[in-house]
Amino acid sequence: MNTMWSVISAAAVLSIAALATAWAQSKIGAAGAATLAEKPQLSTTIIIMLAIPETMVILGFVVAVLIILRGTGG
Amino acid sequence: MIIPMARIRVLGPRDDLDSTLAALQDVEVLHLAEVAAQPGIRRARLDARRERRRRQLLRVLGDVSAVLHGDDASGGRGAREPPSTAVLATWACEANRVRREVQRLSARERALEEEQALVSRYRGFLTAVHPMVRRIALTPRLTSRIVVVPAAMRGTIDTLAALLRGEIGEEFAIDMRSLADGDLAVLLALPRDFSERLDARLADARVPEVTLPEVYRGLPLEQAIPRMIARGSEIAQLLTDGRREREERVNASRAALRQARQAIHDWLSETDAHEKCAVTQHAFAIEGWIPEHRTAALVRYLTRASGPDVTVETIAREAWSADDAPVMLSNPRFFRPFEALIALMPLPAYGSIDPTPYVAVFFPMIFGMMLGDVGYGLLLAVLAFVLHRRSTVGSVQRTLAEVAGPCAAFAIIFGVLFGEYFGDAAHRLFGLEAVLFDRAHAVLAALAVAIGLGVVHVVLGLILGAVSAVRHEPRHAVGKGVSAVMVLLVVGALLAAFDVLPEGLFTPAVIALLIAFPVLIATEGLIAPVEFLATLGNVLSYARIMAVGTASVMLAVVANQMIGTLGSTAVGLVFALLFHLVNFAIGLFTPAIHALRLHYVEFFGKFYSPGGHSYAPFGRWTPSPGQ
Repeated sequence: MNTMWSVISAAAVLSIAALATAWAQSKIGAAGAATLAEKPQLSTTIIIMLAIPETMVILGFVVAVLIILRGTGG
Repeated sequence: MIIPMARIRVLGPRDDLDSTLAALQDVEVLHLAEVAAQPGIRRARLDARRERRRRQLLRVLGDVSAVLHGDDASGGRGAREPPSTAVLATWACEANRVRREVQRLSARERALEEEQALVSRYRGFLTAVHPMVRRIALTPRLTSRIVVVPAAMRGTIDTLAALLRGEIGEEFAIDMRSLADGDLAVLLALPRDFSERLDARLADARVPEVTLPEVYRGLPLEQAIPRMIARGSEIAQLLTDGRREREERVNASRAALRQARQAIHDWLSETDAHEKCAVTQHAFAIEGWIPEHRTAALVRYLTRASGPDVTVETIAREAWSADDAPVMLSNPRFFRPFEALIALMPLPAYGSIDPTPYVAVFFPMIFGMMLGDVGYGLLLAVLAFVLHRRSTVGSVQRTLAEVAGPCAAFAIIFGVLFGEYFGDAAHRLFGLEAVLFDRAHAVLAALAVAIGLGVVHVVLGLILGAVSAVRHEPRHAVGKGVSAVMVLLVVGALLAAFDVLPEGLFTPAVIALLIAFPVLIATEGLIAPVEFLATLGNVLSYARIMAVGTASVMLAVVANQMIGTLGSTAVGLVFALLFHLVNFAIGLFTPAIHALRLHYVEFFGKFYSPGGHSYAPFGRWTPSPGQ
């Protein structure tokens, strides 16, 4: 039972973080595409900006791993 | 490092201004600056003759550049003397004549290309409907028209056909055929006296009529169609001949036009430089920036080239602002390719720290830590080697290869430490174990190493920030130093709390933190606690090294598991190889992006001061690629 809740919690943490990252990246991606149409030389900057919200899903992943390890005694 | 600059002033008799500028243009070391206005000194102006010459040369340059578009060869170092009127007239005539001929040939090529596209698009349809068009032509009362219905409007053709059949009756006929792009080509046969009303019906239905190339426009369809079909094979030859003729025409004048382009650019550049100088009734003054270590050589050169009357003086450091000085980066050979990563950001301000050496060490290390696989590292090394062999010095490909090399080396080193050879392939086949830890299982150890690297990187950034600020903002420098110490104290306290360090260190670390905290607020203000929390957040951001690395190794492990789980070993092997290939591609892109982000956001944020402008010495013109 404990393991099941750990897995569900880890999945929830990762899903919510991934959705938040996806939402942020969709906004940045749309704005970035518009910017690229006018200033193609900013492509690298835009790729970097797209990577910034990934912190959320990465920290979500870390928390999910910690939940799994704690919940399953790994 | 950022090369220290000296601001110098060149003084001499006014009559020697042009010869001194010519000498400076040849030696190519002085980044010109405008001379500040002072009583009795005015900006040098061009006389009416030179102003007129500049306008003429700009026109000639326009013609020459249009002809030599895409030619990035230099015109050689021509004579120093400005072009004479006779030479200028020759260049102007030649450039104008060649430009007009090239434009004429290019226009003919475009027309042929349009005709070729049209003929190849409708060839099948025209061949099919030609017999019907010929039959219609034999009946004087009838005429035929060709229209195109876009793919999205295919449904409208039935409505249009029904409408026309209702209005015209038995004398209306229709034949249609799908084109390669999905559009529908339609032949309409109808009475000649209905032709005008048909235009209105087509306009109502928004169906465009096929526009024939100009050469066929006056011809009836029954004559135009066979000619178009026959022309199909001719056009390719005509195009080849046209391109060759244009190339030959440009080649015949290329050398002369290159020489003209070079000379005009050089002359215009010297004229622009002239306007930055200042003059009095008898003397001139030129100011500019030069790398400090080259000042003595410039003095010797100018004395030799312009005579003893021209003198060079160094302006005292207190008399100029660092904001005005241009920035020139100079790094050891091994670090130089990494300047390309700095070039993606605005240049560092003069007097600040050039981050290239730190990027050259930490970028490949972070990249290698994420990829961390001997197999993938070797593949990357092979790619870098091939790219290096096939690229020229100074090209983007060469820089990429030189950055990829150290990244591959670190990927191999970390691969050995993590025991990864295409994931767990070596462990499965030969029982090879990790030297340090296995990332697929020891996730917490990987996290600790990643955060540890984050601590080192961020603290280094804070120390560099303190060093950078120590001269002009000592208070800020103390704040940065205290932040660095506090980060280390927080880490020390946490390690002591989790029994990694002796437990007795916990209390001293916390007491030191409590003492450092008010010092931080006193030096950095009330916002300091928030910034300190952001700094701790920056350290945690390095957890991505573990996250990306774990994802990479898990994908590699899944690829290896395919061999045993897909029934046939051969099929499993193919799928495993494909999966490894995909993982390798992801493994090149993702770590590079995240390593860059960690540098630009977490590391540079602690010390980087953008705002420099590039050192561009006054010199001869050099074509840039794609000129």
